[in-house]
Amino acid sequence: MKRNLNQTLGLILCFFISINWLFSQTKKNTCLDCHLQLEEKLASPAQAFKIDIHANYGFDCSACHGGNSEKEELEEAKDKSFKGIPSRQDIPKLCASCHSDPNIMRRYNPNIRVDQFDLYLTSHHGRAWTKGDTKVALCTDCHGAHGIQSASMPQSLTFAWNIAATCGRCHSDNNLMKNYGLPGQQEEDFRASVHAQALYEKKDLSAPTCNDCHGNHGATPPEVASVANVCRQCHPSPASLFSRSPHKAAFDEAGIAECQACHGHHRIEPPDYELLPKGKKDVCLQCHNENSRSYEEGSNLREKFMALDAQLEKVSFKIEKIAQQGIEISEARFLSQQAQSEFLEARNLIHSLSLAEIEKKIKESQAIIEKLSTLITEAEREARLRKTGLIVATLFLFLLALALWLKARQLRRKRP
Amino acid sequence: MKRRKFFDFLLGGAALGTFISLFYPVLRYLIPPPSKEEEVQRTKAASVGELTPNTGKIFRFGSIPALLVFTADGTYKAFSAICTHLTCTVGFDSQTQTILCPCHNGRFDLEGRVISGPPPRPLDPLEVEISGEEIFVYRKRG
Repeated sequence: MKRNLNQTLGLILCFFISINWLFSQTKKNTCLDCHLQLEEKLASPAQAFKIDIHANYGFDCSACHGGNSEKEELEEAKDKSFKGIPSRQDIPKLCASCHSDPNIMRRYNPNIRVDQFDLYLTSHHGRAWTKGDTKVALCTDCHGAHGIQSASMPQSLTFAWNIAATCGRCHSDNNLMKNYGLPGQQEEDFRASVHAQALYEKKDLSAPTCNDCHGNHGATPPEVASVANVCRQCHPSPASLFSRSPHKAAFDEAGIAECQACHGHHRIEPPDYELLPKGKKDVCLQCHNENSRSYEEGSNLREKFMALDAQLEKVSFKIEKIAQQGIEISEARFLSQQAQSEFLEARNLIHSLSLAEIEKKIKESQAIIEKLSTLITEAEREARLRKTGLIVATLFLFLLALALWLKARQLRRKRP
Repeated sequence: MKRRKFFDFLLGGAALGTFISLFYPVLRYLIPPPSKEEEVQRTKAASVGELTPNTGKIFRFGSIPALLVFTADGTYKAFSAICTHLTCTVGFDSQTQTILCPCHNGRFDLEGRVISGPPPRPLDPLEVEISGEEIFVYRKRG
């Protein structure tokens, strides 16, 4: 009995020693322990650091602020290495001390880039910073300071949906921007664009936001000559068609930014034929005389597009109406999709300025619409026939019921 | 209530109920509610031997165009041929062995994944089944 008691006590002792050893192996972070108890201003960085990517990789406060985060006493914790809050002038170099060192970075992610600081030095932000301007964006302005998360995390300041707001924190500040001679409405313009519509409404993360056109660490507005190359990243077809159009040489000679001249920038609206001559958003008048032959040809083209679009809409409406009546119309739907596809192809060919190619596509679309019209007429006839048949059959049914009722009444009256 | 009156009431109620139950379906047929067309689940896309390796074919899958590709290494792949950008009809580009949308040059690999251009998501995949001399394509359930 006594032996058993000794064994049990021994086991309990071993258990507590193991637990104590395990806790002693966990690195202390006395900075967090104290800061979390302090007032909001001093506690919030510590709170945010809990989800910071650096904390997840085992870094503690001392990695950026110096000091010894394992010491309990304040004087010992704030030893000679303690730096406190890094100055804004020091921040890029502080981050680069790890992020530009491949030997350090590959320990955490072998594929991570280490050229962010070099790129930063080529950016408008970085160039101003090297001249001593600390009002420009530094690492912490875009990534945050204590709750830094990977750009793939939806809460990250650099996640696609958040980038416009992150850039807008400075670029929508008119007072700050006027120091650099920049307008302050880019974010507002972007949010009204077709790109923002895709990003925020369709939740399409492949849609571009600020950094896709300007670069991120090397953020710089694209030069006139490179605008088309930037747009080409997502829109290769219009760019190729434009390159073989007569516009290419003319734009180059006049120093006009290719895509931007007609589609604008930041507030890029969905393209439509209203951009063509005599349209509501006519952009051709910027360069062309309204009495010129090319302007007239463009105007004719716009009318053809309008007519085709109206035809497609009418056909689509009829198909839906027939489908609602229970008529099988899948072939018409198939053809309608083909006609719509030809129409979009024709619309895109505007970038080539090749009237022959555009008109060929328009004709192809019209030929499909003609086939469709025959199908629709047949389907409408079938729907009418079914309706008429049903009405006639129902009338006969009621007539029969009425006749039976009258006959029964007549028989009742005859009964003595 | 007298017995006769009760029977008249019963008869009138039954006649009204019959009239409504007959008239309502007729009315719903004449003024139909919006309804979704039934989706085709399986269709014949081609015959074995119809396609040579490294070619593709557009066929009708219900109301939408679909693409059957006979790859260079001899396997069949099928996708919805509707581009996920602006719904143009995509086609097989044998030179690059990719699927290309002619409208804005959206390009997809032979798994339907976006390689380049504006499409925001992959093409919808379809399943291929060879039955005797015929190639069927169907939509995977679930």
